[in-house]
Amino acid sequence: MSAHRRPRPAADRDSAAWWEALRRHEFLLQRCADCGVLRFPAREVCARCRSFTWSWIPARGTGRVVSWVVTHHAVHPAFADEAPYTVLHVALDDAPGLFCHGGLTGAAPGGLHPDLPVRAVFTDVADGTPLLLWRPEPAQGPH
Amino acid sequence: MGDGGRALSEAAAIAGIGYTPFSRDSGVSTTTLACAAILEALADAGLGADDVDGIATHRVGDSAPPWVVGPALGIDDPHWYLDQFGGGSVSHAVIGQAAMAVATGMATTAVCYRAINARSEFRPGGQGRAPVGAFDLQYQAPHGLLAPVQHYAVAARAHMLAYGTTREHLGHVAVTQRANAAANPRAVKRDPIGMDDHLASRRIAEPFGLLDCCLETDGACAVVVTSAERARDLRHPPVDIAAAAWGGGHSAYSSAARGPAPPPHANLTTSSAARLAPRLYAMAGLGPRDVDVAEIYDCFTWTVLVQLEDYGFCAKGEGGPYAASGATRLTGELPVNTHGGFLSEGYVHGINHVAEAVQQLRGEAGERQVPGAEVALTTGQPGHVLAGTSALLLTAGR
Ligand SMILES: [Zn+2]
Repeated sequence: MSAHRRPRPAADRDSAAWWEALRRHEFLLQRCADCGVLRFPAREVCARCRSFTWSWIPARGTGRVVSWVVTHHAVHPAFADEAPYTVLHVALDDAPGLFCHGGLTGAAPGGLHPDLPVRAVFTDVADGTPLLLWRPEPAQGPH
Repeated sequence: MGDGGRALSEAAAIAGIGYTPFSRDSGVSTTTLACAAILEALADAGLGADDVDGIATHRVGDSAPPWVVGPALGIDDPHWYLDQFGGGSVSHAVIGQAAMAVATGMATTAVCYRAINARSEFRPGGQGRAPVGAFDLQYQAPHGLLAPVQHYAVAARAHMLAYGTTREHLGHVAVTQRANAAANPRAVKRDPIGMDDHLASRRIAEPFGLLDCCLETDGACAVVVTSAERARDLRHPPVDIAAAAWGGGHSAYSSAARGPAPPPHANLTTSSAARLAPRLYAMAGLGPRDVDVAEIYDCFTWTVLVQLEDYGFCAKGEGGPYAASGATRLTGELPVNTHGGFLSEGYVHGINHVAEAVQQLRGEAGERQVPGAEVALTTGQPGHVLAGTSALLLTAGR
């Protein structure tokens, strides 16, 4: 275990409730009350209709791989023990144009490809910081 | 905006450039670096500090601000100054803003500088120092996604997946620029490299290896902007600012998703430059075919390839084959990063591309001179990290 502390999420006033939900292992999106558009990351205003009225809704928790990076040179000392590590750029299934980054879990980067289905996995690191990771979905066989 | 642009090109020119040495440890403060580069640039123009009434820089909390550098040079009452937040995305906007200040009479002579100890004090990617002001970072940092090299690696991989761009394509950028640097005494790295060296270089953030990454450099560079009319009476032939453009964009997150269709920035394989380029060219009344030499922001090899596409030098997805064809060599149809770029000359966050373009247009680039260069494109960071970009079209004045 690295002696260096992992960077903790620095929630802002828009995102505090999102991080609180993640601690409960809930992945939330915002839904505009006026035009219905979904958004992430957290913001108070709708970029489509400029309404400030919205609610939290549960995300599906699934997405598709767009791209990824395999980091060998730990850019922060807290990750030295984890390198090489893979971070995915995932397109959320909830709505077009919504993306979420997250670590890869349960698979090696060699098996990644565009449009690979992935599912959100919640984990808590030692100090209680919640993380949203992505695990490739098992291939769907005929039922 | 044709008429407004014409007004700019007739109004503002670059009259001088200056550098400090580039190194891994300058041993001095960023204030000292800034002052030295500015005085060099003024001497190059045949001007003195008492002629300056405008001063501008950009920084991310890592350098001396204009309200420190100005008084240090005895410039006590600048008529115009700019302390622009940002890194390479705004490097060219600073000079465009100075051109506006001169064009409107807010200042008669402005110095633009970037001074940074990017190796000895403020390494951008080497010690987990996160980009200042990055809104998205809270969602990324806990995963160890912190440095520009990683964000650009994500975009580069998307380009590879979409268009078949290869590690060898990236390698052509690095190898060609190192060859150019051999003819540049200022360059930090002048030893030749081959494709094998590139492919074997230590992995940093795949698909990038060490030779895909720019040099973390200590140094400063400065540019003097004055009226086109005044520039004609100074030491060197003036270089006209034919067009300047800068603008926003989006980061890799959909921070402004507008549904129901994917937003225009959703495609990681196209940079903000694609939206900026048309208005840049329109302002100058020029097109990509008119460009004789291009100094293209190369924080990483891949940013050159995507900008070759987005500034219209080749078709979308063809940046890799275009570089592999030899077109971007000194002897090719579009010489790119003639000084070796950030990958080989050194990385002072954008402005040394402008200074190299000026030397090319003055015909004073020595062994690396592109014969008859009259139009130069020089660009800032293409977006994706702090998302905006900026660029200049410069022309040899007469
Ligand atoms: Zn709305």
